Amino acid sequence: MKTTELAQAIKKGELTAQANAEEKIKAVEKNKHLNAFIDVYAEEALEKAKEIDARVKKGEETGMLAGLIVALKSNICIKGKRATCASKILENYVAPYNATVVEKIIAEDGIIIGSTNMDEFACGSAGTYSAFGPARNPHNPELVPGGSSSGSAVAVATGMADLALGSDTGGSIRCPASFCGVVGFKPTYGAVSRYGLIDMGMSLDQIGPFARDVEGAMLLLTTIAGKDARDQQTSATPSQLAFEAKKIKGMKIGLAKEFFEGTDKQIALKIGEAIQKLKEAGAELVEVSIPSARYAVPIYFLTMFAEFSSAMQKYDGLRYGLPTDVTMPLAKAVSEERAQGLGREIKRRIMVGTFITMKEYSEAWYAKTLKARTKLKKEFETALEKCDAIVTPTMPCLPWKIGEKMSNPVEMYMADMLTASANIAGIPAGTAKCAEINGLPVGMQVHAKKNDENNAFTVLQAVQERTGK
Amino acid sequence: MEGKDLEVMIGLEIHVQLASQSKIFCECQANYRESEPNSNVCPICTGQPGSKPMGLNKTALENLLKIASALNAKIKTSEKIYVQRKHYFYPDLPSGYQRTSKPIATEGRIGKVRIREVHIEEDPGRYELKKGLVDYNRSGVPLAEIVTEPDLKTPEEARAFLEELEAILGYLNAVREEAGGTRIDANISLKGGNRVEVKNINSFKGVYTALKYETVRQHSLLEKGGKITQETRHYDEAGGITIGMRKKETAEDYRYIPDPDIPPLEIKQEQVEKVKKQIPELPREKTARVSKEYEIKEEDAWVLASEKELVDLFENLANEFDAQPLANWMRGPLKKQLNYRNMQFKDSKLTTEHVEELYGMITKKEATDKTADTLLIKMLENPQQKPRALANKLGLVRIDNEKAIERIVEETLAENLKAIEDYKKGEQKALHYLAGKIMAKTRGTAAPEIVQKLLKEKMA
Repeated sequence: MKTTELAQAIKKGELTAQANAEEKIKAVEKNKHLNAFIDVYAEEALEKAKEIDARVKKGEETGMLAGLIVALKSNICIKGKRATCASKILENYVAPYNATVVEKIIAEDGIIIGSTNMDEFACGSAGTYSAFGPARNPHNPELVPGGSSSGSAVAVATGMADLALGSDTGGSIRCPASFCGVVGFKPTYGAVSRYGLIDMGMSLDQIGPFARDVEGAMLLLTTIAGKDARDQQTSATPSQLAFEAKKIKGMKIGLAKEFFEGTDKQIALKIGEAIQKLKEAGAELVEVSIPSARYAVPIYFLTMFAEFSSAMQKYDGLRYGLPTDVTMPLAKAVSEERAQGLGREIKRRIMVGTFITMKEYSEAWYAKTLKARTKLKKEFETALEKCDAIVTPTMPCLPWKIGEKMSNPVEMYMADMLTASANIAGIPAGTAKCAEINGLPVGMQVHAKKNDENNAFTVLQAVQERTGK
Repeated sequence: MEGKDLEVMIGLEIHVQLASQSKIFCECQANYRESEPNSNVCPICTGQPGSKPMGLNKTALENLLKIASALNAKIKTSEKIYVQRKHYFYPDLPSGYQRTSKPIATEGRIGKVRIREVHIEEDPGRYELKKGLVDYNRSGVPLAEIVTEPDLKTPEEARAFLEELEAILGYLNAVREEAGGTRIDANISLKGGNRVEVKNINSFKGVYTALKYETVRQHSLLEKGGKITQETRHYDEAGGITIGMRKKETAEDYRYIPDPDIPPLEIKQEQVEKVKKQIPELPREKTARVSKEYEIKEEDAWVLASEKELVDLFENLANEFDAQPLANWMRGPLKKQLNYRNMQFKDSKLTTEHVEELYGMITKKEATDKTADTLLIKMLENPQQKPRALANKLGLVRIDNEKAIERIVEETLAENLKAIEDYKKGEQKALHYLAGKIMAKTRGTAAPEIVQKLLKEKMA
């Protein structure tokens, strides 16, 4: 049953929200070994489900998400709940307010089941940099589930939730969606309010949906999108108030060789096969070129490091984290606090970000990065004038073993080579499973123009239908 | 210690709180003073993880544009103005950075003092060092920072400049009225020394004291053959002195980046034109016009023009009374009572009508200078009271009746035979002494010219 069909069934009273919640809670119990959740709100979820059922029975109007179970990445603030960011420094931080997306989910009667595991402060592509232990891939628990929105992808893949939210700064939704075999979507920068999303790279961050099907992703995105006075970067266009897929026939699909160069041969082959199926469905293939996509990784990481180091200034040991030892000299107390409260990868990023924004180096590094970013953005815009969507692999490789790539950060960073461009350009990009290799899912990524989510959804839906998923 | 000899260069960075209903990036009240500590706050102005700034407060920006316009500065309309993050660690800074815009206007001028730039920023919270307490109620109150070129040559010039600036700000109604929101950093260098920055001066008066102290300190140090190193000093208000904080061997690095959460500001030419139309006649022009139009001394006009409400009062009354004596009275007895209470005319709540009546009593000789003063003091205590009614109530009506005065004069002379002898020996002081006695007996109500006349007659 598709997510939207499930929602309709609950709305009509054919199925109960309670039964749906119970089923999801059972799955949470069963899949504990995957370490997908940091906190589970089982009792509250059940209570809310019963309340929705009672309202359905009385014939009252219910919201778009009524009875659907939603998991949230633990960098999204829920009033009265911990927002840990999977970090020791926020281990006991209880959010005093709701993120805008949380307000919207509650308003549409979605049932929030818990906060999901992630790479600390969203820094990682594997789900292994969590202070709460690594999340695991449901297809093989020895493998990484992808990151940083690891738990959200795992929860949807294993039926612990109908829907989930993640955040995507350089691929953090699309990477785990691809590795876990679910649909993941990063909207246009500004389509969804970031108010209540704990900062990583503020000019790149977007909240987006996970679902087991494209319809579910569209439904959740319809719920959360829109302009918000609490995020000045939001802008709403009519198409972003209701998302829908159109016909694939006659669509122009762009292919850029730069996105296949560093990709694993087997994956490239599978993506090629899926593209043929889109052609069979009536799509027209167009060759496009985005030469600067080769520099997506340095552009992305340098931009993000700079913004991240700024965002992390507030965790100075005075406000958040473990009690500071006041008997120590201030500078020592603060460094001790940060040494214990923050993970190794976080410290690496803060240090590099601090370095490249220092007066002495800013021109050579940060200013130059911004220029390169503008160039890549323009190239995407030009390419997207020639086509309706650009199709690429989502990940250049298959999920690796937990523990691998941890010693070489650059190797880990390369995992974002195909996803980071969409964040740099601020355009929408989603992934859907299009094939399997040795029982592991392979995701196809679809990019579209700014504020043109529906074209991306159209192609993703065609992928979903034509590849037999 | 003439400025010329020392070749002093002084530049000022003045922070004033812009008038607005809410804080700069959130919906909390900008009037933080009436709240319990840490109650006038929200996730945004306390920098809670995940919070983002809302749109920059429009009223605050409009008030900043008014200030820039009044300072004859060029407002940037043809470019995007980024709000930047200025990073530093301090307990009252909730996010570890302060949001501060790039210059919004440049190349302004007050008289011969050039204004380098004006920009907008957020106020941090308050930190009580000794108690280790932080209060975020103030966090996010909009500030304008006005930066001058180092064109001031003496502490006196700096004081005069700040007085004029204060007057201009008062005319514009663009800043918060409550005291204590203003903070000034002063840069001062003497020939042969390096630039010294004095931080955290909390009043315009403090600037003068701090600069006076610094010129003397630096001058005597240089005279002794010492060196002035580049440093930041803290102004100690209680002691009226400056204290070295840290040596500035390397420039501080705030790692400025454009705030990714805030789209750059763009100011439209129409907005600038609209603001320009709202700028009233400013103190300098007001002084020139009023002095010419009413034929009063320019220095008197300047004192009156230091406050818009005061000069308005003058203009209202000058149609009815002789202008120069009126100016003298306003600048003298009236201003003296206001200054004594540390208030401006508008704070006194005195109405034009009541002042008109009081001054009318003086000119019509219904009140003596002495009783007018007494009446003014009573009126300041309770601005509802009408002066004439008050005079009746207090028995402060001027005595013009020569017979009545004569009786008191005779009585007084009988009690002060020694003074009569002194007067006859040619001591004028004795006359004043006797007049004083009579005024005391009549609580200042006796017409002074009649008292004088009668005393002289009786002792002749």
